[in-house]
Amino acid sequence: MDKRFIRAIHSDQIAAGGMKAVEIDGLEVVICNAAGTFRAIQRRCGHMNAPLEFGTLDGTIVTCGMHCVQFDVTTGHALCGPVPADLGNESLPPRVAEYLGNVTQQMAHIRTESIRTYETKVEAEWVHIAL
Amino acid sequence: MDTESRKKTLQYFFEKVVGPLGFKFTPDADLKDFLLEQEVTLEAKHGIPFCPCQPIRNDRARDMKIVCPCIPFHRQHFDQMKRCWCGLFVHIDVVDPDSLPQFPPHSSIPEGSAGSSDG
Repeated sequence: MDKRFIRAIHSDQIAAGGMKAVEIDGLEVVICNAAGTFRAIQRRCGHMNAPLEFGTLDGTIVTCGMHCVQFDVTTGHALCGPVPADLGNESLPPRVAEYLGNVTQQMAHIRTESIRTYETKVEAEWVHIAL
Repeated sequence: MDTESRKKTLQYFFEKVVGPLGFKFTPDADLKDFLLEQEVTLEAKHGIPFCPCQPIRNDRARDMKIVCPCIPFHRQHFDQMKRCWCGLFVHIDVVDPDSLPQFPPHSSIPEGSAGSSDG
């Protein structure tokens, strides 16, 4: 089946190292300007569905802003799991500690999946993605 | 998640940190590969890529000082040795890391073992 390229966003709307979320036919996609090359990934993090455009893009590595899970935008591969919260050395109130303990226990069962990537091309300064 | 991808990721981010500090990855490719693999294992277990040659003591203030690259926390000692403790990073001018002396912190460089460099 032929790929269907759809016009997504004007290339000058995303500076190098930037990301922007777009919705096309109900599909949420983040367009990344990875050092001048446009890449498209699914918007939702493969860990807990946080929107990835709120994270940071460094080279071809996107880091989710929620739990610092990283993905390669060229392949979609998950590069690491979530980073534990930094609670410092201060002792927490018992109820808060119990709550966080429960959350940690439940989060241990959440797997980090790789994310989907979409083929892109730039035509007449517009980024198109293949659906 | 696979180890090789994570090793490349750590290398990518570490290079950005150690370069401005005057360090680089060891030219010993096997050692670099081995140490990065250990850090990936430690990160998978603890969520943090601790230095593979240092014990984790569950003392947060102390443990945070052995998060790789730990150069800023032990700069004086590493500058004297021209390498970090595990040898993953060496001074930018070092070409033969095996010739570098190792000695405890707060001691002077042993006589006649200044290390090999092209500088």
